[in-house]
Amino acid sequence: MLVLASWLREIAPYEADHLEVAEKLTLAGLEVEAVEPAYPWMEAALVARISRVEPLSQEKGMTLCTVETGTDELQVVCGAPNVHEGMLTVYVPPGTEMPDGKEIKETQIYGHLSRGMLCSQMEIMLEGDASGIFDISAEFPSARVGQKFSSLAGMDDLVFEIGITPNRPDCLSIAGVAREVAALYGIPLKIPAVSSTYQEKHLADVSIGIEDPLLCSRYVGSVITGVRVKSSPGWMARRLAASGIRPINNIVDITNYILMERGQPLHAFDLDTLAGRTIIVRVSEEGERIVTLDGKERILPEGVLLICDKERPVAVAGVMGGLDTEVTEKTTSVLLESAWFAPWSIRRTAKLLKLPSEASFRFERGVDYDGQLSAALRATDLLVELAEGSFEGIRDENPRPWKGKKIAIRPHRANTLLGTDLDAENMSGILESIEISVENCNPNKIECSIPSFRPDLKEEIDLVEEIARLHGFASIPTESPVGELIVEPAVSDKAFVDQIKIFLAGQGYSEIVSYSFVSPEEIQALGLTEDDPRTRMVMLKNPLAEDQSVMRTNLISTMLSTMARNLKKRNMDLALFETGAVFFNRGQGVLPEEHQRLCCAITGKRFPQVWAWPEQDADFFDIKGLVENLLEKAGIRESIFQVSTAPEPFYIPGTCMEIISSKGVRIGTLGQIADQVLKAFDISSKVFLSDISVPAAMEAASTDKRFCPLARYPAVDLDLSIIVDDSVRVQDIFSFIHQNKPDILESVSIFDVYRGKPVPKGKKSLAFRFIYRSEDRTLSEAEVLALHEPLINTLLGEFNAEMRS
Amino acid sequence: MEQQLREIEKDALSAIDRAQDSKTLQELKIKFLGRKGRLTSILKSLGSLPKEQRPLAGKLSNQIKTRIEKAIQKRLEALKDLVPGPELIKGFDPTLPGRRLPPGHLHPITQVLNEVCLVFEKMGFSVAQGPEIELDFYNFEALNIPPDHPARDMQDTFYIDDKVLLRTHTSPIQIRTMEKMSPPVRIIAPGKVYRCDSDVTHTPMFHQVEGLMVDRNVSFSHLKGILTHFAQEVFDKDTSVRFRPSFFPFTEPSAEIDIQCVMCRGKGCRVCSQTGWLEVLGAGLVHPAVFRHVDIDPEEYSGFAFGLGIERIAMLRYGINDIRLFYDNDLRFLNQF
Repeated sequence: MLVLASWLREIAPYEADHLEVAEKLTLAGLEVEAVEPAYPWMEAALVARISRVEPLSQEKGMTLCTVETGTDELQVVCGAPNVHEGMLTVYVPPGTEMPDGKEIKETQIYGHLSRGMLCSQMEIMLEGDASGIFDISAEFPSARVGQKFSSLAGMDDLVFEIGITPNRPDCLSIAGVAREVAALYGIPLKIPAVSSTYQEKHLADVSIGIEDPLLCSRYVGSVITGVRVKSSPGWMARRLAASGIRPINNIVDITNYILMERGQPLHAFDLDTLAGRTIIVRVSEEGERIVTLDGKERILPEGVLLICDKERPVAVAGVMGGLDTEVTEKTTSVLLESAWFAPWSIRRTAKLLKLPSEASFRFERGVDYDGQLSAALRATDLLVELAEGSFEGIRDENPRPWKGKKIAIRPHRANTLLGTDLDAENMSGILESIEISVENCNPNKIECSIPSFRPDLKEEIDLVEEIARLHGFASIPTESPVGELIVEPAVSDKAFVDQIKIFLAGQGYSEIVSYSFVSPEEIQALGLTEDDPRTRMVMLKNPLAEDQSVMRTNLISTMLSTMARNLKKRNMDLALFETGAVFFNRGQGVLPEEHQRLCCAITGKRFPQVWAWPEQDADFFDIKGLVENLLEKAGIRESIFQVSTAPEPFYIPGTCMEIISSKGVRIGTLGQIADQVLKAFDISSKVFLSDISVPAAMEAASTDKRFCPLARYPAVDLDLSIIVDDSVRVQDIFSFIHQNKPDILESVSIFDVYRGKPVPKGKKSLAFRFIYRSEDRTLSEAEVLALHEPLINTLLGEFNAEMRS
Repeated sequence: MEQQLREIEKDALSAIDRAQDSKTLQELKIKFLGRKGRLTSILKSLGSLPKEQRPLAGKLSNQIKTRIEKAIQKRLEALKDLVPGPELIKGFDPTLPGRRLPPGHLHPITQVLNEVCLVFEKMGFSVAQGPEIELDFYNFEALNIPPDHPARDMQDTFYIDDKVLLRTHTSPIQIRTMEKMSPPVRIIAPGKVYRCDSDVTHTPMFHQVEGLMVDRNVSFSHLKGILTHFAQEVFDKDTSVRFRPSFFPFTEPSAEIDIQCVMCRGKGCRVCSQTGWLEVLGAGLVHPAVFRHVDIDPEEYSGFAFGLGIERIAMLRYGINDIRLFYDNDLRFLNQF
């Protein structure tokens, strides 16, 4: 909310500097987000001298003025009749935003470049003549060329931009903020008085009816006749403009002025347009229509709170008035509405019609429950004074009057919660400073009566907060809590995932974090079948963009699009990973299935080009090796890789391997991304990727480790080189060896794979190393060979292999 | 004259003999043979000698000049042999860069998030988590934000349907934890959160860390103690911290916590909008209504909760000026952390 400093000071006459007040308000919970000049156009305006006036022949009455601004001499085209050489006037440079919201621009007028504008009093929102430009010397004899006009005219006022939290509707007015200032400085509050005699007057021919007092608990209607609709006086227009409200005419401006002064929204009807001089407050029926002030016809659903006359809706209550009954230049009689509407009802309507306004903003947060009459009377005073109206009478329908609200607070409870040591008198003093009346105060209990403008104060804790913030958070001690150790802490997968992340970074993979929402096309590009759970996407009702409209069901598509984005920026060698949640739709109204996954992928060169080793493209075995290491590090032992019998559609068939835990659970897959998928993501290099389920990996992981005594006797190493058909799989050879394993065979590894001359085409050469060792003696070579040779012979037979010479 | 020349020669030769490096020799060369050197000045004064003495003196000074030059040369070579040079092995260049596997990088969000969690884990808070797609009940209602409450405007929400939404904060984890655990509770809950907002300072997805402590006699001064400690651990130990009243429906009293601007040290700059302060945390005492939702007696227990945005802390810590960089995942960005 914008609060004009001089207006605030009028109601809470503080002596402190404005900036100090701003600081104090901030520390009391009314955050002053900025302090700005109140009238930016006056800040920009300069006292200037017209040194030369040349009439423009093309257009009668227009002149080209040469203007001295103290630092500059420039030309401005001006149409004012009163320009003359030597005149001191107000000059506004290009780039200035004027009160009407328009920006002054350098323009070509009748072939001349006009750099800025010479202003009348009206144009800069000063009272006075609008017929010509401002002849300053008459009013300000001390004016000097080049002087800032704001300081000359005392218009160097400030506005506080205050962020009012939703719980403080009482502070959505100057008086409300002033109440805080008064409390903080211990000064009296001077809210403008109203003429009390008005209360006794009544109206015979105007009727007001409220159908549902829960939606509208009070409706005050004040009738003023004989008004003259015209512009508001400068002081009022300036205050509204500084508050961010554009002045319109005196009647509308008065309603807005009261809204700013007291926080009570008002609406002025042209009484003569109200059929039957009647107001009925009721909810809409389905399909009712009203043309609102903005000229739009609105077809209403059932249940919108309306203000109606005898025949039709004339306003959407608390949100916007109707066009047919608005105040125009022809208006002479006004019915002024000052009402209390149920916050939730106004909020729904404003959302439904997408019509947030200053009024609805206040109603939906809760205006002073008992403030309608005084606001109506204060507005009536101003209508009489500024619109030359005569007050006919007032009607106050108040079916659910304010009955007061009482809350008790226990001082020891407040002290326990805050960590303070305030006594009851201290606390009651603080509460009274914000107009909470203390009815009974003893060391055990303070009984309070809550003012009608504080709907946020509902229970004891609300009063504890008031004491805390006005006592000052800075005055509350800073202490370390003492608590018992918690032996059963919350459980999470964070430690497990962190360990994996650190391992992967150590392996040269960098972590990415991408949005959880993607485009459905991105998921479809993976070529998933219809029954794949990953096609069960959760859709957002209100996405920001189509490409962020569904929650991802996998991390693969975002990994590929991240790679594509990097490749376009010529980051060619990528080793990346991501961990994050994926989501699967389970139907309306229930939470989707959600679990964490891990995706690792590599493309481009294995290592960046350096002198130390030859450049090599990454391949399938890079990702497989990474996963093998990962499983070992995560303590996932005895898991196996198997060629998938139902391969993922996004891998090249035959490269898809499944990672199966010792319990037979599929932990994840790895493979080379298929060409058609790469094409869909606009990637032209090969990508090798692994997709792992975090819960499955965590389930399979174990931190158990068992020490194995170190071997005491030497091993016998035997190498074997065989030539087999290219179709033979190494994993099958290993399985065969394990099935036929002599007890003393400690391990077998493969250390070379070779294709090419002299190995015949369609064959490959494989080299294995066998390590034999006994736990209790040194083996002789003959003893080893006696077991090794029969094993090799059966192996050769099994795989149709021959020894490589 | 001859006397003078001999003296110059003697001085020069002994100085050359004592020189320990080439720089000194260079200086000596200038001192004796340079344009303003001692020998040169003598030669300039040859003209004042009687005519018959001139050839002899000229010859002598030239000889001396040559001898000094030679002595310098000789000494230079001697020095070269004297000072041991670096041990050189033929064909081995130790100045080549090392053979290294380029390291990967954890995302800056992860690094800051871990750092934040660690501060609290050291104080006995344990990590808790919750679903990113939430029920309206956990995200709003149980947190004292009923339907039609204006506080819902504080958070622009992505909806899945009427009951299901993307969590707008990590606060629902408070409720889920208190449903499962009875006090004492001390948790720290990091995670992704979502709001429909996108510009230079907002992304529709970002990260928060939520903290909750519930026990007997937990007070606002404890909240101040814990969060002041946190701010000084994460920024630096001289950081000033300011607690300012604010509003969150699920805490009361509620506070926003500002730290002294890390850019200008409180003087006022563009980053802190000239205020000298940066808002980094929201916090407060758990509202009794929240306790009532999870069947904890607010008369017996009290607690505090707090939340902070990781991106904001990371941007301040690393001087990142555009929040969108975090989600672009450009390798040139990732490699900097």
